[in-house]
Amino acid sequence: MSFLRTVKEVLVLIVLLILQLELFASIRLFGVMPEIMLGAAVAAGWHGGPTDGAVIGFLSGFLVDLYLASPMGLSALTYALIGYLIGMISELIAEDVERIVRTVISLVGIVLGLVTFVLFGELIAEPNLYNKNFGKILVVGGLYTGLFIPVLHFLMEWVFHQSSYRNNQIPMNRMQRN
Amino acid sequence: MAVPQRSGGSRFTLAILLLISVTLISLDARGYEPLANLRKAATAVIEPFRNIAGTVFDPIADAWESLSEGDALEKENALLREQLSELLEYRVTTEGAVEELAALRTQLDLENLGGQETIVAEITGRSVSNFDPYIIEIGKGTQSGIREGMAVVSVGGLIGRIEDPGLRSSRVRLITDPNLNIGVLDVGTKEIGILSGGGVGQPLKVSDGIPVSAQIEIGSIMVTSGSERSPYPGGFAVGTILEIVVDEINLEKELLIAPTGQLENLEFVTVILYQPPSSDLGRD
Repeated sequence: MSFLRTVKEVLVLIVLLILQLELFASIRLFGVMPEIMLGAAVAAGWHGGPTDGAVIGFLSGFLVDLYLASPMGLSALTYALIGYLIGMISELIAEDVERIVRTVISLVGIVLGLVTFVLFGELIAEPNLYNKNFGKILVVGGLYTGLFIPVLHFLMEWVFHQSSYRNNQIPMNRMQRN
Repeated sequence: MAVPQRSGGSRFTLAILLLISVTLISLDARGYEPLANLRKAATAVIEPFRNIAGTVFDPIADAWESLSEGDALEKENALLREQLSELLEYRVTTEGAVEELAALRTQLDLENLGGQETIVAEITGRSVSNFDPYIIEIGKGTQSGIREGMAVVSVGGLIGRIEDPGLRSSRVRLITDPNLNIGVLDVGTKEIGILSGGGVGQPLKVSDGIPVSAQIEIGSIMVTSGSERSPYPGGFAVGTILEIVVDEINLEKELLIAPTGQLENLEFVTVILYQPPSSDLGRD
């Protein structure tokens, strides 16, 4: 991992964290805020692959954990898993896939991340995570975060630009020929 | 489609990260002090950046709020006008009630609230989580004498307690949280019960401690009990009784309580710098 890329990762995560805490916590839709840091983990998994997805997911989750009342490590655990999972999926999908497919997979990743977060929270008997607003948070939170997915992908493209990561994605046209 | 071979490196990295996460969760659950200090340090480090960001983004947030909650504000405005006119009428008829309440307080041997040291704090933020809406952030911390568990009041009464105070900021856990328990006392009958939140916008509940034989009336005021292990001084108004439900099985009365403290559209709150004699604070 190059020094420049580490600096880019840290810079992007800190900026997103401040935006999450100061801006997005205030501009809620139906009382729900977007999960920008989870979105960052998803985008990192897509562009960086499983290893970098897991590492950036862990870091973004850990940063969020520092400011939440929930147990420290809960978001880190969830986001690392989701970053890894999306990284694995991105390896299986053609490199030149349509952006709409990428967005849909990212949305599914975010919703899955929210469900996993609550599931792990329930497993460790953390109160308040599963409540009557859970469905609303999933739908509104997922879609609201989805609005920022293109920006998050743009940022992660910038982070992983000219990176040493060489994934095993198979171009779509090659697959069609086979 | 050929599935690419994945190196064991990514799995190993994931395993290490998961192990670290689980360790963090475990340590945090045990109240590991360095993690709490890490949180406080992180809050202090990022605070200047948050302040700068706040000055930039606050107008955007205000504009968003006025756009998204315009109808709600109009309704609230109308409701407030209605309440104001009712209160003006009520004031004339209840001037004597102030003296009566003072007499009751003396009779109940409640502490004199005027003697408690307080500090006013500005609300700097709401919960930064979708899953825990029972948190607000205030701009005062341990530097101002605020400690874990201290009572927070707004106009009308108790609204929450201090949680994880930092150097210059603190979290307030609101009384609407279903997992927050407060010992309360009915001013009329002196019956003591355990009050818990009912969720956002829902009445509070007293579902433990009030016997079925208690002569509790709707409209009666519930105040903090100020019992020995309570982190709150006694006599703070918490709510008024909205509804009484009899639990025939447990032979107890369940009370639905309307909070008297203002919980919405707050800008400032008051922290009571009171620490109970015992350092072993319960959740009551």
